[in-house]
Amino acid sequence: MLPAPFSADFINRLEALRLKTRKEFLGSRPGSYSSPRRGTSLEFADYRRYSPGDDIRYLDWGIFARSDRLYVKLFREEVDLFAYLFIDASGSMGFPSPAAKFSRACHVALALAYVVLANHDHVKLHLLRQGAAPVASPFYRGRHRIMDCIDFVSSSTPSGPVEMAPALAEHLKRLRRPGKAILLSDFLMPPASYQQGLNLLRALNLDISVIQVLARPELSPPFPRGGLALVDSESRAELQIQWSGELQREYRERLERHNRELKSFCHQSGIHYSLFVTDGELGEFVLETLPTIGLFK
Amino acid sequence: MEFLNPTALFGIFLLPLLLVPYLVRRVPRRLVFSSLLFLRELAARSLGRPWGKPHLPPIFFLQLLLLLLLILALGEPVLSVRPLRIAVVLDNSASMQALEGEKSRFELARERARDLLRGLSANARVDLYLMVPALAQLGEKELAPGAAAALMGALAPYDLGDRMVDYGEELSRLVKEKGYERLFFFTDHPGRASGGAIRLVTVGRPRDNLAVTSFRIARPSFASTQQEARIEVTSFSSKEEKIKLSLKGGGKVLASRALTVGTRKSVATSFQDFPAYPAYEAEIEVDDGLALDNRRFAVAPPSGALEILAISPRPQALYSLRSVPGLSLQVVSPEAYERIGSEGHSVEIFHFSAPSLLPRKHALFVLPPIENPLVAVGGPISRPMISGWREPHPLTRYVNFALFRPPYARSLKPLSFGESVVESPEGAVAVGLERQGFRYLALGFDPFPYLGRENLPMSIFTLNLLEWFNEALRGPGAATGEPLDLSARAGEILISPKGEKFTAGESAALFSRTFFQGFYELARGQHKEIVAVNLQDAKESDLGDPAPIELKGEPAVSGSGFSLFAFWPYFLLASILLLFLEWFWSRPVAQP
Repeated sequence: MLPAPFSADFINRLEALRLKTRKEFLGSRPGSYSSPRRGTSLEFADYRRYSPGDDIRYLDWGIFARSDRLYVKLFREEVDLFAYLFIDASGSMGFPSPAAKFSRACHVALALAYVVLANHDHVKLHLLRQGAAPVASPFYRGRHRIMDCIDFVSSSTPSGPVEMAPALAEHLKRLRRPGKAILLSDFLMPPASYQQGLNLLRALNLDISVIQVLARPELSPPFPRGGLALVDSESRAELQIQWSGELQREYRERLERHNRELKSFCHQSGIHYSLFVTDGELGEFVLETLPTIGLFK
Repeated sequence: MEFLNPTALFGIFLLPLLLVPYLVRRVPRRLVFSSLLFLRELAARSLGRPWGKPHLPPIFFLQLLLLLLLILALGEPVLSVRPLRIAVVLDNSASMQALEGEKSRFELARERARDLLRGLSANARVDLYLMVPALAQLGEKELAPGAAAALMGALAPYDLGDRMVDYGEELSRLVKEKGYERLFFFTDHPGRASGGAIRLVTVGRPRDNLAVTSFRIARPSFASTQQEARIEVTSFSSKEEKIKLSLKGGGKVLASRALTVGTRKSVATSFQDFPAYPAYEAEIEVDDGLALDNRRFAVAPPSGALEILAISPRPQALYSLRSVPGLSLQVVSPEAYERIGSEGHSVEIFHFSAPSLLPRKHALFVLPPIENPLVAVGGPISRPMISGWREPHPLTRYVNFALFRPPYARSLKPLSFGESVVESPEGAVAVGLERQGFRYLALGFDPFPYLGRENLPMSIFTLNLLEWFNEALRGPGAATGEPLDLSARAGEILISPKGEKFTAGESAALFSRTFFQGFYELARGQHKEIVAVNLQDAKESDLGDPAPIELKGEPAVSGSGFSLFAFWPYFLLASILLLFLEWFWSRPVAQP
C-alpha cells in the first residue's frame, strides 16, 4: 500500500521525471544515461580513422569526399543508472515524532526511488544508523519493486546517535558501481562531520545530491519561557537553559548560518542541495523544487 | 474620593508578593529536542544565576492590575460631595470584657473603630453610640473623626447582658431616622447578610468559659438559724474542666471545693455550716475567657421568720398556715388592707382578692378576681386534671401531680408576661413571674386550708411556694441593669461597687445605674443595707456560640441631601473582566 501522499496524479507526474546526472557512468545494460564508452546511441561522440572490420554504415562520406580519407562516426553508449538513496535514521530524525520527520524523509526517498524505477534503472536504499552492520536494501529495478522499497523503509525507526562519515564509509565499502547518490538528512551535526561524509561520496566519483530535512519545531522551537531542561534526542544529554525570546532569535540565526554553510559547501563541491521542511507539500517539493536545483531532467 | 473600608487598603502591601513566583526559578521542564548543537553556547550564557532573569510578562502586569482593582473595590471607594455621616455603635455588653490575648474584646473593637475613623477625611461627621443598657448616643452630635476617637478612649463595657431586642431592626431604624451613609457596629456577635448601609465588625474568637450562674444564701427551713449556700457552676467550654470553687465572706475564704464540670453541663453544689456574714461571694478559680462571671455575690437572708400578710374575705382557711413553722402570719380583710397597707411584711397573699396595682412586695394571688393587675381569669373548672408542669422548678419539686386534684379551679393567662408553671387541659392554673426583683405567683385554685399530711401533694406545693418566696427575700439580689427601688429611702447614701456615691431622693425613686455587678450599699448613719447585683444573662457567658445578628431589610443609603457615588461595583466589574482576560491569556501553550 502506497503512503498517503502518493496519489494517482502524483505518481503520473513522477512517471514523467528522470534523474539528471552530471557524470557518465558505466552501466550494466542499455539505458538512457550517457556512458563514457562509445556505443550505438544516436548521440554523436567523435570520429575515428577507419580500420578494416568497422561497420561501413558509420563511415562519414562527407569527410571522405572532402579529404579522401575514411573516418567512421562514433556514438555515445547509453546505459542504465545506479541510484543510491542514503537516509539518515539517527535519533534526531524522529523529532518531533518519527511520523512527522523520518516518515516525511522516507516519502521523499520513495518518490525519488519511484522516478528511478519507472525509468527501469537500479535503486538501492541505505539507512545510516547506529550499529556495526550497515543496513541496505538490494538493488531494485522495475516499477513493481516500489513496494519492496516501502517495506524496507517502513521496517526501520530512527534512533541513537549517528556519525555520518563512519556510517557512510561502512556502506561505501560495499558499493561497486558508481552512480547517483542522494543523501537525506537533517544535517544537525558539526560541519566537519557532514563535510567528511560528503567528501567520502565525492571520492567514489558519485554524482551527489543532498536533501536537508527539517521539522518546523526545529526551525522555530515553541518552548515556553523560563527554565527548561532540554534533552538531546540522540545522546540523551541534558542541558539547563533559561529560554526567552532573545534566545529563540539567536537560535534561529545560528541554524540559518549552519544551513548556509552546508549549502555553500555543497555548491563548492558540485553537490545539489535542497531544504525540505516537513510541514510542506511533498508534491510541490518533488515536482517543483527539486527540478529547479537540477536533480531531474 | 474616600474609602469606607480603609483597612482593606493595607492589602496593597501584599502586592509585591506577586513578584515571587516570577522571580523564583521554577523546577525546569524537561523537553526532548532533536539536537542541542546550537543551544550549548546559549545555555552557558543564561545559567549561573541563582535567580532567573526577572521575566515579567505582560500577564504579570495584568494580574497586578486585577489585584489592585480588587483591593480598591474592598476598600469601598466613594465619591462624596458632602461630608460623610457615619455612625459608630460599640457593643459594651458584658461579653465584650472577654480577653483575646492581652486585650479585651472591647479594646479590640475600639482599636478597629479608631482605625476606621483614621481612614476618614477630616470633613466626615461621626455619631458615637453605645448598645447597652439602651442604644444611646454619646457626646455631641456630628463629631469630627478625631473627637470621636478621643471620646471612645474613656469608654468601658458594662456588666450588662444584651438587650432582648432585634439589633438588626434597631440599627436599620437608626440609619433610616438619622440618614447615615454607613453604620458600623463593633460587636462580638457574628453577623448574617452583611452589606448595605450597616456594617458589622466582629471581634473575638470563640472561647471556652465557665461561669457561676447561680448563688443563693438561704435557710434550709423557715425556722432554721443555719444558712446554706447554693451555687451553680455552668460550663460553656468544649472540654471537661476542673475548677476550685470558693465561698468567701468578710474578705476570707469560708469554704472551698474542687469540682469537675462536663462539657456544656452545670454542676450545683452547696455549703453548710459556715460563719454568718452580711454578704458573701462565690468565686471559681479558672483561666477562662471572661473573668466577670467567675464571681457572684449574695447577701444573707433575713434572720427572722417569714412575715406574711394575708388579705382575704375568708380568713379561716388561711389560719391553717400558722401550723407551718417559721411563719409569722397576719390576716386582714381587703378593706382593712387598704387602710393599714403592707408595711412590716415581706410577702402578701391575696386570697380571693387583688390590689389595683402590682404590689412592690412578693405576692401570691389565689383565685384573683377578674379585675387584677397580673392575669386574665378564665372560666371555672371542676376537679381539673393537671396535664403539665415545669420541671425542674422550685414550685413543682417533689409534688405528685397525679394526685394533685384541687376541687375547683379557673384557668389563668398572663396579661403581659409570666410563665405557666402548672397547666390543665383548659389552660394554666399557676403562673409565676419575676419583675423588678419581686416574685409574683397567681394560682387558679385554692391551696388553703393547709392540711399537712392529709393532702400531701397540695401541702408540698404550698411549702414549695413559701420556700420560693423565702428564697426571693434578698437571696438572689438584683440583676445588673435592674433598677433599685429607693422610693422609701430618701436621704440615704447609695455606694456602688465602683465607690461612686448617690443620694436617694424623693424625685429619683428608682436607681437605674446598676451597670456593674457587686454589692451596692445603702447607708443611713450606722445602719447599712447591702444589695447584691449580679450579671444574670447566661448568654453573655457563652463565648463559644454567640447569637448571630440578622441584618435583614437594611435600608439603602439615605439620599436626603447626601450625594455618594460608590465606585466599588465598577472596580469589581473591571476585576471580573480582567480575570476573564487573564484566563484567555494564560491558557496553556501547545508543547512540542
